[in-house]
Amino acid sequence: MTTAATFQIDHLQFLDAHGKVVAPLPAFANDPAALIPLYQAMVLMRIYDAKAIALQRTGQIGTYASILGKEAVEAGVGAAMEKDDVLFCTYRENGVQIMRGVTMRELLLYWGGDERGSDFAGPRRDFPVCITIASQCLHAVGVAYAIKLRRQPRVAVCMCGDGATSKGDFYEGINAAGTWRLPVVFVVTNNQWAISVPRDAQTAAQTLAQKALAAGFEGVQVDGNDVVAVHHAMREALAKARSGGGPTLIEAVTYRLADHTTADDASRYRPPEEVAAAWKCEPVLRLRNYLSEALAWNKALEEELLRQCNEQVQAAAQAYLDMPPPPVEQMFSHLYATLPAAYAAQRAAILAAAAESTQ
Amino acid sequence: MKIFKLPDLGEGLQEAEIVQWHVKAGDEVALDQPLVSVETAKAIVDIPAPYAGRIVKLYGAARDVAHVGAPLVAFEGGDDIDTGTVVGKVEIGQTMIAEAPAAATPLAHGIKAMPAVRALARKLDIDLTMVTPTGADGLITANDVQRAARILAEIGPQELLRGVRKVMAQSMTLAHAEVACATIMDDADIDAWPEGTSVMLRLIRALVVACRAEPSLNAWYDSQAVGRRLLKNVDLGIAVDTPDGLLVPVLRNVERRAPEELKTSLAKLIQDTRDRKVPPEDLRASTITLSNYGSIAGRYASPIVLPPTVAIVGAGRIMKEIVAVDDKPAVHRILPLSLTFDHRAVTGGEAGRFLAAMMADLQRP
Amino acid sequence: MAQITLVEAVNLALARAMADDPNVVVFGEDVGKDGGVFRATLGLLDKFGPERVLDTPLAENLLAGMAIGMAAEGLRPICEIQFSGFAYSTLDQMLNHAGRMRHRTQGRLSCPMVLRTPCGAGIHPPEHHSESPDAMFAHIPGIRVVYPSSPKRAYGLLLAAIRDPDPVVFLEPTRLYRLFKEDVIDNGEALALDACFTLREGTDITLVTWGAMVYETLQVADELGEQGIVAEVIDVATLKPIDFDTILASVAKTGRCVVVTEAPRHCSIASEIAATLAEQGLLTLLAPVQRVTAPDVVVPLARLEQHYLPGKPQITAAVRRALEFA
Repeated sequence: MTTAATFQIDHLQFLDAHGKVVAPLPAFANDPAALIPLYQAMVLMRIYDAKAIALQRTGQIGTYASILGKEAVEAGVGAAMEKDDVLFCTYRENGVQIMRGVTMRELLLYWGGDERGSDFAGPRRDFPVCITIASQCLHAVGVAYAIKLRRQPRVAVCMCGDGATSKGDFYEGINAAGTWRLPVVFVVTNNQWAISVPRDAQTAAQTLAQKALAAGFEGVQVDGNDVVAVHHAMREALAKARSGGGPTLIEAVTYRLADHTTADDASRYRPPEEVAAAWKCEPVLRLRNYLSEALAWNKALEEELLRQCNEQVQAAAQAYLDMPPPPVEQMFSHLYATLPAAYAAQRAAILAAAAESTQ
Repeated sequence: MKIFKLPDLGEGLQEAEIVQWHVKAGDEVALDQPLVSVETAKAIVDIPAPYAGRIVKLYGAARDVAHVGAPLVAFEGGDDIDTGTVVGKVEIGQTMIAEAPAAATPLAHGIKAMPAVRALARKLDIDLTMVTPTGADGLITANDVQRAARILAEIGPQELLRGVRKVMAQSMTLAHAEVACATIMDDADIDAWPEGTSVMLRLIRALVVACRAEPSLNAWYDSQAVGRRLLKNVDLGIAVDTPDGLLVPVLRNVERRAPEELKTSLAKLIQDTRDRKVPPEDLRASTITLSNYGSIAGRYASPIVLPPTVAIVGAGRIMKEIVAVDDKPAVHRILPLSLTFDHRAVTGGEAGRFLAAMMADLQRP
Repeated sequence: MAQITLVEAVNLALARAMADDPNVVVFGEDVGKDGGVFRATLGLLDKFGPERVLDTPLAENLLAGMAIGMAAEGLRPICEIQFSGFAYSTLDQMLNHAGRMRHRTQGRLSCPMVLRTPCGAGIHPPEHHSESPDAMFAHIPGIRVVYPSSPKRAYGLLLAAIRDPDPVVFLEPTRLYRLFKEDVIDNGEALALDACFTLREGTDITLVTWGAMVYETLQVADELGEQGIVAEVIDVATLKPIDFDTILASVAKTGRCVVVTEAPRHCSIASEIAATLAEQGLLTLLAPVQRVTAPDVVVPLARLEQHYLPGKPQITAAVRRALEFA
């Protein structure tokens, strides 16, 4: 008997739960000040997230999926991407989307039930939020294929969750990406929970990163609450993809500190002790501790940042609330490039009924 | 257990350090009672209890960091409302439903025709009830409608009924739909009448006698209320044939009027009716009707009772007949009588007695 | 001009489209080296190279999903699903994403893709190769469903589908792939989408059909003609959106209609046509609309197929019923 293959999955961490350096920092992190933009991004997205929850509780937007706890994954990924790269994400990546140039008003429009929220003014090629689990993996493959065909220096970044790695679309996507050596990075945010199903009921695989090996490419696991680790892994993976080295799968291990959505009550299926314990590893405080220790951050800067972020979020929320409701027309206006004659009557009937009901 | 999470501390502050707990597990606390003092970047604040209850557990010790949104205190009890969903809002209603079995609706035996055929009939102004179907299972075809149209075209246009004829058509339709008619017939032997006897006066007199004997035939019946009014006065409707059609003027209070006066009034009434001079109020509210159709032709009849009255007396053509007198044949004049009554309000016995009373009076000289 | 079969016409249109537009990419299982199991993509790999003619791993969801990604980036992807029985898993990508992409981004992204698949029964294959998924795809908002019935129409409609800015599911009647030939000019001219084709004009009855059933229906029309019954035959061709104007005008003329499909009866496209005729053409009908369909059973294996698929006897019987009604 000979050995057909062996595997090893590395786990990356630079800052521990208290913000102490536990491994030699990558070059970009040598100057602590270089991490400040990451910190600022993480604080902004957390304040946005709290605002979104508040808006849902007061009936101003519909069901919302909180990003509480995964700010380091989002900031690490968002900061590494180039402008012309393409993002594919779930409904729990609003943070990355903000960093990509999607406005908070657009995000709130989406959650508020208005398709205009997906007509991003900023990143025109990024895909809209994908609710169906893992289907975006295949879209990412298609975009990556087009990029490769045209020899462009762009990368498709496909973000999904731990639950997604059980789906056929995920396997089909990574398999194709590996087969064709496509310029795509798969970022699996392992926040330990797929609604009420814990990670160890999702798969027998020891890590999610190793699923990449079944597709023939490298998988790496990082501490998802350590923004330095996430960002480092992303930079490497993007560089590899951009230079024709093919895909990478990054498993970012973190914890979903909030309920699955604002309609969910996670205390039904997980003990509060576990959540309390997970809070001790949370990413924002960790990074602040590091920056404060490194004398790159202080109370005054913190207050100023909070003030600025609050202002921005408030303004965005107000801008959303000030938006007039979508025109009923919206159901038909972009159904096809040109609405077929067969549907003119339906459109007319619905518009007429809507006009009557507002009188 | 109800988990109380550290609430928003304001200004975007994300966490605070626990300075001191003011309660412990097992304590009963009141609403707003201070649970813990925490120190934010700005100040030391007390976090009040969001409700009254018993503390089960505290999360974190002094010097620990408490995070906004993270579990802080567990309270006992609390039937947390289960939304029963992870997306949107599933409305919870309190109504109980108990579906009753749907009642069976009676079969409709309608006219069978395709919509296009119906549209054709409308266009050609053909009443589908007049069309004989030739299609399978009683289906009226387009050809059937065309055929009916051709026939009617040959026959000529309809004359639309107006005025008196139209009223007759409408009131007879209503009467027919409503009234439960029954008729009894008999003959009155009037051989004993002197020369020159006025048939109408004798009929009227006999009718009044019969009304006294059987008042239930001089009544109004209300089918909605299922009730009747027995009437004291006899307002007699007289069926009059006019060039315009059938009219029924009313002689009021015939039970009180003297024969001579009645005779003149009757003659005048009939003439006025023919001249269309009778006012509307004298064409309605009769209590019983008399039809002397025998003056034209006809022996017996079952004329239509006009609601709300319940009886109509018909007098046939007087004729000479062989009758049995003391068991021997004799030729006598007889007056055929028909009494049609509304069996909803009048029994056969009552009608019979009424007729017998009429006959008895008519048979007197 | 060439005398070619339907599948050759598909091949011709694909080659034409790929030559005219460098953004057109063809992919699927066995489409490259093998030229496709039905040879629909024969020769394309040699002509256009492996980046534009791609043999993919065995994954139908991948085919539909990556077509969506490619189309968003401005390529014109044409994926082949080997058999319609395997196309059902693509309903997720087609309904949840392809049909929605333009709408949910309000036009920012769009999805000019074509999903081609051979479908229909009649070649006596093993299970799952005889499906008629036309109604399932036709129910999806935001896409088109096209189903040609002849080499000429396959050529012209496929070109139209490829050039269309919105997703098209292009169903190909397997049974007709090589059943007959037709003269097809490779002039790159597309036929109109969203339009019926009136194949025979008539006055006595309207026969409405599509796909492989056009073949039998035309034969029935010819046989009826010999008996003095002049039938109008309409090939619907685009099953979504349907050109109802043509069908309604025809039934206004004839008063009687038979809709023929090889798909199962319940919620078939024949039902949609019958309902629309009842709704908008009721007063023109002299007889109820007849639907000739397969029964609502699992497609049987080959031995019973002839009892399952509607054919000339069923179409003729339906015509008689409509004519004899009244």
